[in-house]
Amino acid sequence: MNNEYILEVRHISKSFGKHLVLKDITFKIRRGEIIGISGENGVGKSTLLKILSGFLPPTKGEFTVQGRIGFCPQELLIFETLTVRENFIYFAAAYGLDQKKATPSWERTKGELIEQFRFRCYEDTLASYLSGGTKQKLNLSLALLHSPDLFILDEPYSGFDWETYLHFWRYAEELRARGKSFLVVSHFIHDHSKFDSIFQLKEGVLQCVSTI
Amino acid sequence: MRLNYIKTGLVMTAKEVLRNRIALILFLLIPSLFNTLIVLTTKDRPITLHLASIPDGTFFKVSERNETLVFIALAAAGFIAAFLGLNLIQKHIGVDRRLVLCGYRPSELIIAKLTLLLFVILLIGGYVTSSLLFFFQPRHFFQVFLGFILGGYIYGCYGLLVGTIFKRELEGILCIILLGNIDVGWLQNPLYYAASQNKAIIRALPAFFPSQTSMVAAFTDHSMSQLFMGGIVYGGTLLATGLLIYWWKMRIKK
Repeated sequence: MNNEYILEVRHISKSFGKHLVLKDITFKIRRGEIIGISGENGVGKSTLLKILSGFLPPTKGEFTVQGRIGFCPQELLIFETLTVRENFIYFAAAYGLDQKKATPSWERTKGELIEQFRFRCYEDTLASYLSGGTKQKLNLSLALLHSPDLFILDEPYSGFDWETYLHFWRYAEELRARGKSFLVVSHFIHDHSKFDSIFQLKEGVLQCVSTI
Repeated sequence: MRLNYIKTGLVMTAKEVLRNRIALILFLLIPSLFNTLIVLTTKDRPITLHLASIPDGTFFKVSERNETLVFIALAAAGFIAAFLGLNLIQKHIGVDRRLVLCGYRPSELIIAKLTLLLFVILLIGGYVTSSLLFFFQPRHFFQVFLGFILGGYIYGCYGLLVGTIFKRELEGILCIILLGNIDVGWLQNPLYYAASQNKAIIRALPAFFPSQTSMVAAFTDHSMSQLFMGGIVYGGTLLATGLLIYWWKMRIKK
């Protein structure tokens, strides 16, 4: 595998019964790249991300990742009856980030996320009491907690207000400058300047529609 | 097995359960309500009882009210444990899978849940056994407690199994209520069992071992150790099946 690429996807297909959702998907992501995948509802964007994150096995094909993945699913997969802080602690434990032996990077990432997504005043609030947009911020933050090398984000900014959306992209740019890569899936990609390449998924086939 | 992972999982799961205050109140109210209904509706008259686990045809004279109190206490422990088992597995199966993706092992998550379930079963068992003392003194208090624990364990494992099979709450609740009602709420009652046909079917239902254990302990001096072990094996089979399905649902392609 070439070290230049953090993700290499080779000929991935996925079918559910007789229904072929993804057909021979092949692409690569370099370190520090932000890639977007758009497409209509139900074309298989989330299925592709679920395969890349390990949630689903592909029917055919393979992919290789060099480094850690941070996956933000489209649906809110957070603990509603835990506070924001407790959600962070639970997922930090899952990532192996021990609270008592907090490393500088874990502390820094947590501090960054709290500042970037303005969680300070919600830290002790139960997730069930948060607004839809704030829940989505928490959903996203849980994927960023362990400073992954590749962010796989499924509709990461749905429900965000404009200011949070801008915050998200500012933070993404900071992370990109540190060599982190992004694969962002959204049915609504309106700002092409944020991405190095944009692909469109149509009838199971991935086509590059824009490259800078 | 990483103990700090299990500890975090246990603490977080316990916090979630403790925050469900209405459910906690119901856990306390349901057994008391059941007892009150029995005391108000069942006569304190002597009845002759035959227990399925004592094969020599021995009959016992017991108070109808006391017999029903033991039976209904077991039903309360079983129902509460089953619903908790269902809730612990079903409510967060998606988030649990995300945790597995992030680094948890399914075994660590399930051990945390089972530890909490067992702890609650012990509390409920203690509560329902103690509540019997307001009405009568069972012959062997601790063994009756073990019978209720066994009922909670088997029905907790059943709830867990149902939670792994069904995605939605309604199906799970129906499965628990339907089986619970007919088994721990009716067929296992010695009053019915003595005159029933096809007894093998009743013996194969989940509440057979716990109901016999608690009845034997409450009203006779016979040994209940074989019944208790039978119940452990029965619950273990349900648990193993549930764990297998849980593990299959949690699997992640690394």
